[in-house]
Amino acid sequence: MAQNETKTASPSGVPLLKVENLSVSYGHINALKGVSIEVFPGEIVVLIGANGAGKTTLLSSILGITPSKAGTITFDGQRIEKKPVDKNVRKGVCLVPEGRGVFASMSVMDNLLLGAHHNLQNKDKNLERVFGWFPILNQRKNQVAKTLSGGERQMLSIARGLMSAPKLILVDEPSIGLAPIVVNDIFTILQMLNKEGYTILLSEQNAYKALKAAHRGYVLETGTVTLTGTAQQLLSDPGVKAAYLGA
Amino acid sequence: MQVFIAQIINGLSLGSIYVLLATGFNLLLLVALIIHFSYPVVVVFSMYIVWVVLNATGNNLLLGILAGVLSSIVLNVVSAPIFQKVMKKRGEVDVNSTMVVSMGMGFIITDILSHSFNHGFPIAYPENLTGGAPLFRIGLISVQVGQVWSLAIGAVAVSAFFVLLYKTRAGRAFRAISEDPAGAKLVGIPIVRTGIQSYALSGIMGGMSAILIAMLLHSASPGLGDMLAHKVLAVSIVAGLGNLVGGLVVGLALGVIEALIQGYAAGSWSNAIAFVVMLIVILWKPKGLFGIKV
Repeated sequence: MAQNETKTASPSGVPLLKVENLSVSYGHINALKGVSIEVFPGEIVVLIGANGAGKTTLLSSILGITPSKAGTITFDGQRIEKKPVDKNVRKGVCLVPEGRGVFASMSVMDNLLLGAHHNLQNKDKNLERVFGWFPILNQRKNQVAKTLSGGERQMLSIARGLMSAPKLILVDEPSIGLAPIVVNDIFTILQMLNKEGYTILLSEQNAYKALKAAHRGYVLETGTVTLTGTAQQLLSDPGVKAAYLGA
Repeated sequence: MQVFIAQIINGLSLGSIYVLLATGFNLLLLVALIIHFSYPVVVVFSMYIVWVVLNATGNNLLLGILAGVLSSIVLNVVSAPIFQKVMKKRGEVDVNSTMVVSMGMGFIITDILSHSFNHGFPIAYPENLTGGAPLFRIGLISVQVGQVWSLAIGAVAVSAFFVLLYKTRAGRAFRAISEDPAGAKLVGIPIVRTGIQSYALSGIMGGMSAILIAMLLHSASPGLGDMLAHKVLAVSIVAGLGNLVGGLVVGLALGVIEALIQGYAAGSWSNAIAFVVMLIVILWKPKGLFGIKV
């Protein structure tokens, strides 16, 4: 009954993902210095920040690829900061990596089935849904992934994540290296998936388009959260405008 | 013409063993991310286990074969944590450190074989394994039952391996890790567990090779492992490291070349000539005939 609210529902209830005081270092370099964020079920949350701000590090720590030095990550009520990646994927986190990251020499179908590695008993149902959203992948399912265009690879990468039946999709810089018209398609797809019930945490340098698609956002600067708010608030924030929206 | 046909059969049967060994070696390189230089030495150790069990059981073939395959699987899987530990200590995936582990393993096994089995003398396998009288003989050239068997079993084993690699869940995970280990981890493939599966699978192939080599050569000696290790490494590099199809072609070709030299020229020079041929190939194509796939 949130009709007096705007379309961006305010976060309520129990967060699906809660990151508290997370610190990550690469040798002497502190990539994250006590970052705290929350993602609630049904949200699209965007991480905005320049190159090197720690966006990719944050996403890869949540999945379990990059070990954390301090802090906690709670997903779906369970602590996951010390768990291996394959356990976290089983629990329902998936990452769509920067630069598409598909297996170029393997077929589209092989790529999709790799996403469902722990979950092959439901593969037919999941394939049907994924092909419903991405009919182009059905047409190209026997092709080798390197023959796909950049946009198609990004779709394959998202579709592969969906094959793992995730509750939370982490998407790292989906717009990098894609033509503007394709970027619009990708954001439309992410919003469509969000309407289907998927919760999405996304990192973007393309702040304007990302904020237009998202409910809430966090601004990351050199490993710390400097600002947070609804997408609307961030879009109209003078600091954000100056630093990230080129206005 | 008969000599030619006989030597082609002999060459293909020898080559099918090189193919099995090169495939096991490449699998460990691609999936477990190690250079197991001494993989063929482990195979020769299993050949000795086969011999011991045959002697102890009054030449019970089934038990001998089972012991050969099982010992090879166990030796491979048991070595996995050592390789993993060394890699982990060095931080990232580091094939150089694994090569030293592998060489050490090879030296230890060769020394054990030359001290503890048959006083270090070569061992001979009984006729019920090697097949007894030759199928046919022309002068010094003959085709043995064991040779035909090793060709047939080698062909079946390699085909089964490729079916596993391209048609099964485990095979898909193997290919994903071999293409991009970090990407495979990211999509949720358990890297360590899948790596250990690859040790077990190369153990199975090594155990089968142990039986086939016994059938083909009728004997084994402590130095056999090093000789095979050199050839398998050469086959893999000439084909292109990690290239499974390349290993298949070059392994068969090396077997045939050696057999033809033995059939038409001085047989005792076959190793030297074969290595000269490979030297020329590697000078002409430094990344191997089929390209490196690691």
